[in-house]
Amino acid sequence: MSENKKQNYLNHPKGLMSWILTLDHKRIGLMYLVSGILFFFLGGLLALVMRFELAAPGNDVISNEVYNNAYTLHGAIMIFLFIIPAIPGALGNILLPLMVGAKDVAFPRLNLASFYIYSFGALFAMYTIINGGVDTGWTFYTPYSTQSSSNVVPMTLGIFIIGFSSILTGLNFIATIHKMRIPGLTWYKLPLFVWALYGTSLVQITATPVLAITMVLLMLERFLGIGIFDPALGGDPVLYQHFFWFYSHPAVYIMILPAFGIISEIIPVHSRKKIWGYKFIAYSTLSIAFIGFLVWGHHMFTSGQSVFSQIVFSFITYFVGIPTGVKIFSWILTMYKGQVSFTPPMMYALAFLFLFTIGGLTGIFLGAVALDIHLHDTYFVVAHFHYVMQGGTIVAFLGGLHHWWPKSFGVMYNQTVANIAALGVFIGFNGTFFPQFLLGLRGMPRRYATYDEQFVELHSYSTFWSGILGLSIFLAIMNLFWSFIRKNKVDPGSNPWGGMSLEWTHTSSPPHPHNFEEEPVLQHGPYDYDKVIVEKTYNK
Amino acid sequence: MSEHHITPLKTYLIIASLLLFLSGVTVWVSYVDLGPLNIVVAMLVATVKASLVAFFFMHLLWDDKKNLTLFLMSLMFFGIFVTITLLDTEFRGDLGLNPEVKNPINNRAAFYDTLPLTDTHGHPVDGHSDDHDKDKDHH
Ligand code: HEM
Ligand SMILES: [Cu+2]
Repeated sequence: MSENKKQNYLNHPKGLMSWILTLDHKRIGLMYLVSGILFFFLGGLLALVMRFELAAPGNDVISNEVYNNAYTLHGAIMIFLFIIPAIPGALGNILLPLMVGAKDVAFPRLNLASFYIYSFGALFAMYTIINGGVDTGWTFYTPYSTQSSSNVVPMTLGIFIIGFSSILTGLNFIATIHKMRIPGLTWYKLPLFVWALYGTSLVQITATPVLAITMVLLMLERFLGIGIFDPALGGDPVLYQHFFWFYSHPAVYIMILPAFGIISEIIPVHSRKKIWGYKFIAYSTLSIAFIGFLVWGHHMFTSGQSVFSQIVFSFITYFVGIPTGVKIFSWILTMYKGQVSFTPPMMYALAFLFLFTIGGLTGIFLGAVALDIHLHDTYFVVAHFHYVMQGGTIVAFLGGLHHWWPKSFGVMYNQTVANIAALGVFIGFNGTFFPQFLLGLRGMPRRYATYDEQFVELHSYSTFWSGILGLSIFLAIMNLFWSFIRKNKVDPGSNPWGGMSLEWTHTSSPPHPHNFEEEPVLQHGPYDYDKVIVEKTYNK
Repeated sequence: MSEHHITPLKTYLIIASLLLFLSGVTVWVSYVDLGPLNIVVAMLVATVKASLVAFFFMHLLWDDKKNLTLFLMSLMFFGIFVTITLLDTEFRGDLGLNPEVKNPINNRAAFYDTLPLTDTHGHPVDGHSDDHDKDKDHH
């Protein structure tokens, strides 16, 4: 038995091949995590280059052409190589089977295949960089993208391939959630992270095929001139935008729903209180996923789209605010009268609440046609989507990493350093992006390497804080990985935050190669802090 | 898992002849000019055929109803996409302030032979002059 205790998925089985050909969801999740973080750093580096260029007007550091490449690659890498595949791929993979009490996902081989498809697609994206970049923006709008001599084809091909990985992961998760739950774990007893993954997966399998079609049409247009986006041949360049956003608006929910799920786990555990409005949160996930399919035209308010569509899209966009608001209020009410402890995961969750709310509300501003005509393609939009994607998704991702780090790897990081880094992320983030709302309101357009004298102050301010932000994120992640060197092991049976879901109560840290030594028996729901007392247990 | 449904040969034959008949319809309507309805009819026939294949040959009709739900959902999403996109392309320029913009595709595209073929800058083109990526014989 004691030997069995020491055996975990990290040290058993051994050898390089056992990793390359692993079918273990935890190892696959870890591989997604490492590749995701590498791309995160690459994308972040590009961002810092851009901010450096923008510290002063004029082309001081890089040329316009290099700048165009930098923002395109920054966007494409962050979205298609990091946020979309790596967050469900990493945290979803590691946690989903543990949370439903299963030995693995429903289709372990398919899971490994997804990872390799993702890697294969990423190779094309990396080739793009070596081969001189691509300069169309991450949205690849026609007609420019059909004419640009940069690497549109390798990049879109890479995205096309990665899309399959997304679809297969989604399929795998849906099958796992339907079929692999232990007896007694009914839908309403699932941790909300599982609901979030379910919603995410639904969007992945319904929306991603449209992205694939869009990329194929773009390539056909370039190679064969089929004319679907070319007015001279009876096509329509704006049709491209319909195709692209029919995927990419739902894709923003692929990015944010897992983050919502993470927050729904962190807040009750670190407030030691039952989640408020379980069913509201669960169903708002599904309704966000659905409404998300009806609003894509809000990205096209200045494209010459028909006025009738403008009104319809603007109107439906407001509805997104309802389920989103439901979630925010439920989280706040969960903390109310709870025993909130300011642990690193909770710091990130609080930062999330603040930043995501600003991001979501400014999204509603942008959903108003009349206002968006003024704000479209300005820094206001840049600030909006960074508040939701970085302030929302990435902050939640960091929170989730800190929350499940001792569980996944059996080591504890330095919590003081982690809190300092979290504070740095919060302040650095606001310092970087809040000025961008003001820049946008004053008319600073996005995607320019230079600007008028009048914007100097706000731009240089934003650049200064982006340095702090970059350093803080670096510190946070280094602090996590440092924990392996620190060897501050947690007891295999410990439950450092007093969590109640199966991954905390029924499996060791790090988990056994087969997750559970015997099939777990459900004793309580994931948030029953009002009924059961769960001790926080840490090492000696 | 659940026992396999066995379809009588007769059903297969009926469906097969229906499919053949519908293929005939596709060919036949291609000779009739219904104007903008051309595409609608062609898509309708194709959808009916694909559904027949899915329901009978692929056994969707007797399968777990979840699969049917998924199938119908994908049709619904496709419907949403096409319908709402058409709300734009069919009504573009609907304020009527600038008649040039009204229904730009059908009125102005050279494809419909109302104007000579032009490039994106409005210069007339004969074949393709500058774009090496494109195929030359599409008209
Ligand atoms: C509360 C709900 C939200 C609403 C109402 C909303 C609304 C909008 C609108 C109207 C725009 C278009 C602005 C323009 O280009 O003029 C926009 C842009 C954008 N939003 Fe949101 N948004 C919301 C949440 C999110 C979330 C959760 C994410 C991602 C995690 C996100 C990511 C983006 C991105 C990436 C863009 C810019 C795309 C581009 O042009 O490059 N949004 N949003
Ligand atoms: Cu959107």
